[in-house]
Amino acid sequence: MKRSQIINLNRMRKYSGVFALKPLALCMTVLFAGCESNEQQADIFKTLEECKTTYPDLSAQCEMAFNESLKKAEDTAPKYKTMDDCIIDFGPERCTPYKSADGNSWFMPAMAGFMLARALDDNRRYNTAPMFTSSINSSPYYNRWTTVDGNSYGDYRNRQVRTNTDVFRPQPRITKTIERGGFGSKASAASSWGSSTKSSSRSGWGG
Amino acid sequence: MQRLTIAPRPNWKLKAHEYGFNFHTLLGEPYWREDAYYSFSLAQIENDIEAPTLELHQMCLHAVAQVVNNEQRLQQFCIPPAHWDLIADSWRRQDPSLYSRLDLAYTGQGPAKLLENNADTPTSLYETGFWQWLWLEDQLQAGLLPAGADQYNLLQEKLIERFRQLKSQFPDRLLHLSCCQDSSEDRGTVQYLADCALEAGVANEFVFIEDIGLSKRGTFTDLNNGEIRWLFKLYPWEFMLREAFAEHIYPSKTQWLEPPWKALVSNKAILPLLWQLFPNHPNLLPAYFENDPKAEFTGRYVKKPIFAREGANISIWQGDQPILASDGPYGAEGYIVQSYTPLPEFNGRHALVGSWLVNDEACGLSIREDSSAITQNLSAYLPHVITP
Repeated sequence: MKRSQIINLNRMRKYSGVFALKPLALCMTVLFAGCESNEQQADIFKTLEECKTTYPDLSAQCEMAFNESLKKAEDTAPKYKTMDDCIIDFGPERCTPYKSADGNSWFMPAMAGFMLARALDDNRRYNTAPMFTSSINSSPYYNRWTTVDGNSYGDYRNRQVRTNTDVFRPQPRITKTIERGGFGSKASAASSWGSSTKSSSRSGWGG
Repeated sequence: MQRLTIAPRPNWKLKAHEYGFNFHTLLGEPYWREDAYYSFSLAQIENDIEAPTLELHQMCLHAVAQVVNNEQRLQQFCIPPAHWDLIADSWRRQDPSLYSRLDLAYTGQGPAKLLENNADTPTSLYETGFWQWLWLEDQLQAGLLPAGADQYNLLQEKLIERFRQLKSQFPDRLLHLSCCQDSSEDRGTVQYLADCALEAGVANEFVFIEDIGLSKRGTFTDLNNGEIRWLFKLYPWEFMLREAFAEHIYPSKTQWLEPPWKALVSNKAILPLLWQLFPNHPNLLPAYFENDPKAEFTGRYVKKPIFAREGANISIWQGDQPILASDGPYGAEGYIVQSYTPLPEFNGRHALVGSWLVNDEACGLSIREDSSAITQNLSAYLPHVITP
């Protein structure tokens, strides 16, 4: 056979409302790997001590996860120009000044806890992510656990959560942009040619 | 090779919506057509398309090796001197590539002829890797195709496999994907690659080319000020190397898909070089730089800009008489000339074969047809079948 035998249609589907889908039936066919659950159980600890108390056998892992999360928080948490901007989202006691290695100064939410998801088959393997929360009741993060990409993990008092492994995916390091728009000028110059005869909805830059 | 009519799937437009294929009709004209398909024999696919594709690709890589350290060649390829190191280093490091599409003139018999190599920003990827595959499965199920009908199409599978390899090479790296604003086709192509990457477990983010920023550290950034370390750009290298951020490309240390050395493969200047390195190769057409005294053709020939997209600024000549020309914004960098070979005509339409590679593997085929002998960006896409 010169063609693929299987394509994961669930991954390719963009709108499921078109046909009356029967998710259960779909999941029963092995074709649809998208039905596999990538959810797992995780803990959120407010402090390193809390982690060590809960898992006395894993105190080294707690320490590594805590430090890893702290580093991730510095690199990837939202950065604000002023303390006030940060406070609007996270509250005065939750914001902290931050100076990056390259000398940029700004304000960011302080890590309020860290998520720890242990591998089921091996206690020593884990995933970790920094968690944040807000003390401002007009904020969407108010008293809720939230990740750097703004996803909510429920009430701030919860310690055990169900999480999607997406939370541990690589996040871009946040930095300061000094200039934008340095790419794309050749395309707009070339597309102004013939724009009366061609729809811009198709004349792309591929070929 | 035949063009056969078939009943379209009654629900295909609904299906297109369901799968997010939203550029099947353009300016009221069908771009995707399924009232007919092209049929090939297995021997045609394997002997006349697949094998030459692998060979042509290796020949192109050989040609790149002749250019990267040769100033005269780099000038012929119109690479700005400031970026020679970018390209040479990316070649020396063997920066990984993702995919290419060779455009071939193939009539069903005799050797396919390489018209050009779209190695930098190939489109019609979604239509090829996914949508025509789905069409085949549906039509087989509906009994409208002979049982055992197949398709030359491992494209999606190979893309996912390639992303898996890249993930093991760069385990914790986030991939940014990018294209220009205002093109639903390019956006759809990039979304498709995002889906393939995700299927392989490669986390990714999207940013428009025009929105890319520059940080104080000299890295490129997305709209959330996140650093871009690894970028797929559906945007030609020949543009990027001439724009305001060009000088920041090298110091930014970004990992690129396609890598900078692909700027040499997708360059029309590779056509005369291939002819020089592999004279009279059955899958090549005689080609020369415009000002080469050897550029004498007794028959028709085609003039192509060193840099051009989607059939723009191409002209067909006989002696000093132009026979047919497409207009467009390109040509400032000069032209190459290539012997003319007609595309096969079916039903009054000229059919162009696209032969796909993922990295070094030949893995799929696409067909475009156009009422003009010059295939342009509004030509229709038709599916194909390997007939048992």
